[in-house]
Amino acid sequence: MSAIWAEGLTKHFDEVRAVDGIDLDIAAGTIFGFLGQNGSGKTTTIRMLTTLLRPTAGRARVDGFDILDDARAVRNRIGVALQEAGLDDIQTGRELLTLQARLFGLRGGARRRRIEELLAIVDLEDAADRAVGTYSGGMKRRLDLAAALVHRPGVIFLDEPTTGLDPVSREGIWRYVNRLSVEDGITIFLTTQYLEEADRLAHDLAIIDEGRIIARGSPAEMKASIGTDVVTVEVEAPEALDHAAEVATAVPAVERVQIADGAAVVYVPDGARAVARIVIALDDAGIEVGNVSISRPSLDDVFLEATGHHLRVEEPAPVDGGAA
Amino acid sequence: MHSLSTIYFLTVRSLREAVRNPAQEVGNIFVPLFFFAVTVGSIGSIAADAFGIDNFTGFQVPVAILSAASSISASAGLGTITDIQRGYFDKLLLTPAPRSAIVLGRITADGVRSIIITGVIVIVGLIFRTGFDTGVLGVVLLLAGSFFFGMAYSGFNAAVALRTGSPQAAAAGGLLLFPLIFLSTAFAPKEVFADWLQLLATINPITYILEAQRSLIIEGWNWLDLLRGAAAIFGFGIASFTLTFLALRWRTS
Ligand SMILES: Nc1ncnc2c1ncn2[C@@H]1O[C@H](COP(=O)(O)OP(=O)(O)O)[C@@H](O)[C@H]1O
Ligand SMILES: [Mg+2]
Repeated sequence: MSAIWAEGLTKHFDEVRAVDGIDLDIAAGTIFGFLGQNGSGKTTTIRMLTTLLRPTAGRARVDGFDILDDARAVRNRIGVALQEAGLDDIQTGRELLTLQARLFGLRGGARRRRIEELLAIVDLEDAADRAVGTYSGGMKRRLDLAAALVHRPGVIFLDEPTTGLDPVSREGIWRYVNRLSVEDGITIFLTTQYLEEADRLAHDLAIIDEGRIIARGSPAEMKASIGTDVVTVEVEAPEALDHAAEVATAVPAVERVQIADGAAVVYVPDGARAVARIVIALDDAGIEVGNVSISRPSLDDVFLEATGHHLRVEEPAPVDGGAA
Repeated sequence: MHSLSTIYFLTVRSLREAVRNPAQEVGNIFVPLFFFAVTVGSIGSIAADAFGIDNFTGFQVPVAILSAASSISASAGLGTITDIQRGYFDKLLLTPAPRSAIVLGRITADGVRSIIITGVIVIVGLIFRTGFDTGVLGVVLLLAGSFFFGMAYSGFNAAVALRTGSPQAAAAGGLLLFPLIFLSTAFAPKEVFADWLQLLATINPITYILEAQRSLIIEGWNWLDLLRGAAAIFGFGIASFTLTFLALRWRTS
């Protein structure tokens, strides 16, 4: 059975088509990555799937329950850590988890044991009795993750769990996420604007842009779908870029050339061999070549191919990460 | 059952918040007591003669109680907004707890805080020799009235908070009571008012709440006054809870 299923899920805010008819079918137990840049519709999708927001159109089921008809049952089965860690500064970490556990119906010793266990998992035992307001950004994310797990949900939603965190805290979150998937078999719906995060964590991936899913598959499948190497050629004179693209297209074996961010991106099998031919052809055409690089296709190339532009990462004002 | 336990847990949470922010509670009680002392001290003896009220100090105690209850309930609106802005409100909505019970938790906490602050004001009044004509049972009734009035007023603030999400609007909402107090019989009996003010005071529910409270303190058992006061609180509560639940429905759809 699919853990998350959606058909034509849509949300319009007046004129803005935040989410524009997306279909999902996510197998139980997978880490599903939802990759897209700022404003692409990731949070809005999560808010609909977690019953916080009513869709304009479309249907969805989570763990077999309809998000509209069985909202309460859905909430009982999901854990959610929203993009802005939704915490209360005045309670201590332990009080916050206790309230959360009580609202999910956990009682007595079972509740206390579960909270101890979670505090240990997210390494917050020492800080448990301090007010949440004194926590660092990384500690807050971890507490938020723990709060999402109190009731042992089968499906968890993590909205940009590492955005704004320092690399060490980020590694920490990745470790927890992997552990949840491997040890507990939890289905994880994770949004991100980081290619590396999607690549490292996701078994299955969808790329969303302007409210529509523009590519899907495993990271490996997606990269393989490009089918070639990627040669990126910068030229010294920006106005020569179009001409350079024309010249490169004519080089034997080149499949496609795309212009993005001031460079010509050349898709060609066996890039190492082709690069010399490309540079010579450009030189013959009187175009001065700058940096040239060859790479295996990355998710960024998948993104570029589907949208015509690179994925732009927008970092928020840095959160004080603290050690993970 | 689930609703009741949800209300209980969230009431406890809000009360804990109040305990950890004692400065705010002190402000909530200091301001009404200050006005109480100033009013009684400045016009007390003249007013007593002019309006024929023997116990003007006792006459003023309910005004202090109502304004204290209203400043308490204003902080509930702000608390709800803080929760919304931090995203904590969403976290609560993501639990299977009934959503109306989540909102009612904070409102109930305000009722409890109203009881406490009313108790303090009654004690201060007794120190100033207001007496209490209906005795212990009357005090219990007064505290119960404050509980329900606090909840009703808090519901109104919660509605503003849920609908606007704006701290400014919530603060403005908290001031609603002051014109209502001035347009009631807070400082003098209705008989001395100009006609237009007499009319406003007659249709103003605050008048009946004040009079019921006064009857307990300075008059003795007056069932008609008590019934009117209870009806006024009940009506105010119905109106404010209707707004609260409409605002909650708006926010969650
Ligand atoms: N409550 C809202 N009202 C109006 N527009 C919104 C609202 N929430 C999101 N949007 C718009 O919908 C689009 C998608 O937003 P969002 O889902 O937050 O994207 P992401 O999480 O991928 O950054 C954006 O253009 C955003 O401005
Ligand atoms: Mg987002």
